[in-house]
Amino acid sequence: MIAVFKNSKWAGFTLTVVALSVQAASAPQQINVKQYKTVEDVVVPLPGEVFSALNKLGPVNWKEYVRTEKSANFSERPRTALLLGNVIADGFIAVQAQDAPAVKEIGQRVLTLAKGIGVGASITPHAKAITEAADKRKWENVRHELDRTQNSVQQAMNELQDQKLSQLVSLGGWLRGTQILTAVVNRHFTKEGAELLHQPDLLKYFSARLAGMPEYNVPVVESIKHALVEVRPLVDTESKPISPDAVKKINDITTRLDSEVVTR
Amino acid sequence: MNSRYGLAFILAGVSVLAGIAAFASVDDAQSFALQAAEPYVREGFQVREDYWGGDLAAGEKKAVRQQLFKGNEYWFWMGTEVNRAKISVHIYDKDGKLVEQSDSWQKGHFAAAHVVPASTDSYFIIVAIEESPEERTHWALVYGFR
Repeated sequence: MIAVFKNSKWAGFTLTVVALSVQAASAPQQINVKQYKTVEDVVVPLPGEVFSALNKLGPVNWKEYVRTEKSANFSERPRTALLLGNVIADGFIAVQAQDAPAVKEIGQRVLTLAKGIGVGASITPHAKAITEAADKRKWENVRHELDRTQNSVQQAMNELQDQKLSQLVSLGGWLRGTQILTAVVNRHFTKEGAELLHQPDLLKYFSARLAGMPEYNVPVVESIKHALVEVRPLVDTESKPISPDAVKKINDITTRLDSEVVTR
Repeated sequence: MNSRYGLAFILAGVSVLAGIAAFASVDDAQSFALQAAEPYVREGFQVREDYWGGDLAAGEKKAVRQQLFKGNEYWFWMGTEVNRAKISVHIYDKDGKLVEQSDSWQKGHFAAAHVVPASTDSYFIIVAIEESPEERTHWALVYGFR
């Protein structure tokens, strides 16, 4: 995406014009949000987005959460898609930990999984870029390449009319991100850390998507469906804070699911 | 220039322009949204690869629901390839209260909204084509955080 910036010679001119003549936006202070049609797809936050917020609450020993051991290979495409999202999330954790060998290994693992699911061609340049950026310890570049990797995988899946698999990639990443978020907050509980779990609409979104995948009748998908039902009341607390107990329960649930995602 | 050649030249030009309009897409709109984002990248904002887009008639609005995390700071940038269009983007919380910062801006076919979420929750990003010479106008929205 950033390449667009580099290739747009006239971007600087346009932006200068914008900067010189910008107007403050005026908008109603209050609206009825229900009156608007919504864009169907929700952009699921990247694990790096929640980790960025978590980092601001205090130091986190990210090295403790880095995982590089190879998980199983699966013949079922939905399982591979979930695992792919999970491994990309591991990449974001390795970036937080600034662990170059782990990042490189994860980059190769992502490539293998993407090939297994028929979208390897779109990932090869990103895997190379991840390795190069990790060698140079350019963590922002690695983070950006991980984002591009996930996006390319999902676009390639969408082009193959595999939108459902694409959604499973997002779900796999979100589950691993939530597991790590709850592990960190569970260790040093703060109300602010627990508040990062307040994502009831995302849970609704994932539940709705999974309900539309009856053909993916694999045990791990069933487990996730049940788990989302368990987790939802724990994070949908209205204005009340999310309790330490709830954080621990969500960590137990997501750890159990993670084990199902990565092992045969 | 011979008037017949002149007419042919004009018609050819119109055809080319019509062709460009027909082939314009949300991807073009996205490249304008990214142009609006460029200065903020230099300020440390990480721009997501993913984006939303579509087409709207003048006066039409649409909502994008987005999970935001307290502690992060977000910018949403909107763009369209239709130069003479006027677009806008604004951010509301779940209760419909405007929550964007005062440095949010709109200028012609670019617009941007800035938010520092007071709570971790889902928010509504309202995009609109305020004016446009086209029947339908492509738009795209990208966002970044730091």
